[in-house]
Amino acid sequence: MERRKYPLYFSFPALSVFLLFFIAPTLIGVYYSFTDWNVNADSIRFIGLDNYKALFGEPRLGKALSNTLIFAAAVTLLQNAVGLGLALLMNEAIRMRNLFRTIFFMPYVIAPIVIGYVFRAIYHPEHGIVNEALGWIGLGSLGQDWLNDPKWALFSIILTDIWRVAGFAMVVYLAGLQFIPKDLTESASIDGASYWRRFRHIVFPLLAASFTVNVLLSVIGSMKVFEMVMVLTDGGPGYTTEVFYTYIRSTFSMGQMGYSTAINLVLFVLVTVVGVPVLMALKKREVEM
Amino acid sequence: MRKSRALASVMVLAVSAAALAACGGGNGNNNAGGASSPAASGAASAKPAKDPVTLTFVISNTEDTTAFTKIFDAYQQKTGNKVELQALPGGDYDNLIKTRFSTQDFPDLFLMQPGTKQYVKLRADETLHEWSNEAGVWDNVIDSIKQAQVQDDKIYGVPYGSTGMMGVFYNKDVFAKAGVNPPTNYADLVEIAKKIKAAGVTPFYEGVKDAWPPQVFYYTGWVTQVDPAIGDEGVAKLNSNALKLSDIPELKDLFVKQKELKALGLYQDNVMSGTYDEMQNEFGEGKVGMTFMLDGIISQLEKKFGKDFVAKSVGFFPFPSATDTGTAMITPPNQLMVPDKAKHAAEAIELVKFMLQPENVDLFYANKPGIPIFKGATSELYPVQEDVKKYIDEGKSKVNIQNRLTPSFVDFSKTLQNFFLDGNIDKAIKEFSDNYQKDGKAKVLAGF
Repeated sequence: MERRKYPLYFSFPALSVFLLFFIAPTLIGVYYSFTDWNVNADSIRFIGLDNYKALFGEPRLGKALSNTLIFAAAVTLLQNAVGLGLALLMNEAIRMRNLFRTIFFMPYVIAPIVIGYVFRAIYHPEHGIVNEALGWIGLGSLGQDWLNDPKWALFSIILTDIWRVAGFAMVVYLAGLQFIPKDLTESASIDGASYWRRFRHIVFPLLAASFTVNVLLSVIGSMKVFEMVMVLTDGGPGYTTEVFYTYIRSTFSMGQMGYSTAINLVLFVLVTVVGVPVLMALKKREVEM
Repeated sequence: MRKSRALASVMVLAVSAAALAACGGGNGNNNAGGASSPAASGAASAKPAKDPVTLTFVISNTEDTTAFTKIFDAYQQKTGNKVELQALPGGDYDNLIKTRFSTQDFPDLFLMQPGTKQYVKLRADETLHEWSNEAGVWDNVIDSIKQAQVQDDKIYGVPYGSTGMMGVFYNKDVFAKAGVNPPTNYADLVEIAKKIKAAGVTPFYEGVKDAWPPQVFYYTGWVTQVDPAIGDEGVAKLNSNALKLSDIPELKDLFVKQKELKALGLYQDNVMSGTYDEMQNEFGEGKVGMTFMLDGIISQLEKKFGKDFVAKSVGFFPFPSATDTGTAMITPPNQLMVPDKAKHAAEAIELVKFMLQPENVDLFYANKPGIPIFKGATSELYPVQEDVKKYIDEGKSKVNIQNRLTPSFVDFSKTLQNFFLDGNIDKAIKEFSDNYQKDGKAKVLAGF
């Protein structure tokens, strides 16, 4: 039977909305990044590459870039590892499974700002639970000023964000696991395959679509991190946990709209440069069932 | 199974509700709708409104709101109009206000820091109500205070509050315990701090985590040792970018001094995680001897430890110089501003006039004692405020440098956080200087 195709013009309403509210502002944004648009100036002038020249000569950009990449890599890796582990566990027939699934998903429902404030208290060097707990088990000497020591601040933000988002990855993997036919794993089990071999050769390849979705969302989402950093450290102490969006916010609040847009465009390019190859590589290994 | 599902559903609902409750709140009537014309601003005094409205009043959360709340209650009783108070984080106050302006989300009325530099920041000529010819506003304002609001014959903010101060607030009980008195010069201050430390009390507390408190050290130090060196001429040069901050040795010396206090272990442990709130607690509990701070601490201490504590146990002295007790740093009062396009601009103007009525001014000072800026107003001053008044009366006071410069010390708090970490004086003062120039350039000021 021939598959019926709908006429192209059916897509025009959706396309026009997309063009008007997404493509057009993006293109206008690209233009503004080449201007001296400033809330304190009466006119907007085209200044060529001046914003970019100033930006690439700014040490803060390097810090924001490296922190953003470290954050994205760590969160993507650990969110997926923890999420997958939880999904495998929650896919087994264990008591109160739904309750545990809810508990693990809960942090994702809570606003990042609320989580940030709660973790500020948890990480407090003198009254926080982390250092108190270390003290109770006799490891008080390992206590740190988690959010205000440059050695630990970014690490603490990363851990907090993983705690927040791992439940979401778990739900996506769980959905993927539900679609894997039971007979495949059962027949492998009868053939004597161990849990690890079944996971490696059957489950993980068939989870490729979920893996693609999770990794891509993690990469893009974590490169655009803002609230968690803002609440926990506000990019500090100093600029030590500065990420792209805290830098953009800082220049935006000074009224330097053209310059801020240029930073945003650099982030856009970065997300594209990292995201597209990741997507292409992961798509290749997806398996049709 | 069913039980655990039901429990799971209840927990999801509970968490969602908690998250929503935490994120929502307080945005009831602050959307800029159709702008009502402020032309009705000539209204003489507050009268019962036919259709009561809810006005939004935005204020920094570093300000105590008790006095405002009392006046707003009186206003509501008289007019039926309600005032919803929105306290925004002090560290981000400027940014939040500017963001709301740029998204046309105007509050009806807001309290802004002093100085005509705010006019530049908010593009006042396009956005704010102009007050210079408004009847019923200037009758009781002390003339010098009014004049400080004028720029190009225009006034966009109505001063409200008290003459403020920054300096060293000290706990008299701690001083008595350590057997020390307020210092006679800077070297004496360091010796006093060492004695307090020897008595088992933290000499100084800095709220480095909150970012803004460490700046107070520099602003109080400026009037004592930078102003005498560069004079008003130097300040004028800074305003036109003819002088760089990094070229002022006396300013660099302030960085040296702060570094020395840290090196001597005179700040609290975990100085990087210090907050304004914790500082109040430790100060009130006698665990901290001194803090470089602004006068907002008085009302906070009063709230937490009572009037008696503030009256008996809190003292003040300026940043001492090398040879004497130094110069007191004072700040002009904050200013009330009304955006022209605010939803209830006319009512907000009426509210400002209501706030300026003598009985309401007295109500304000009764709840927030301070050095008055209105003729005929009286305020019962705490001894700590009397200490500053003495300096003012003796002519040994100077207005905060921030209020005398048009560009701002952008990201100074970040610079100081870094400075507390690495102690690099040259790097810190260069960054401080560069950011000042960047802000001048961003504001498109002549010379930058």
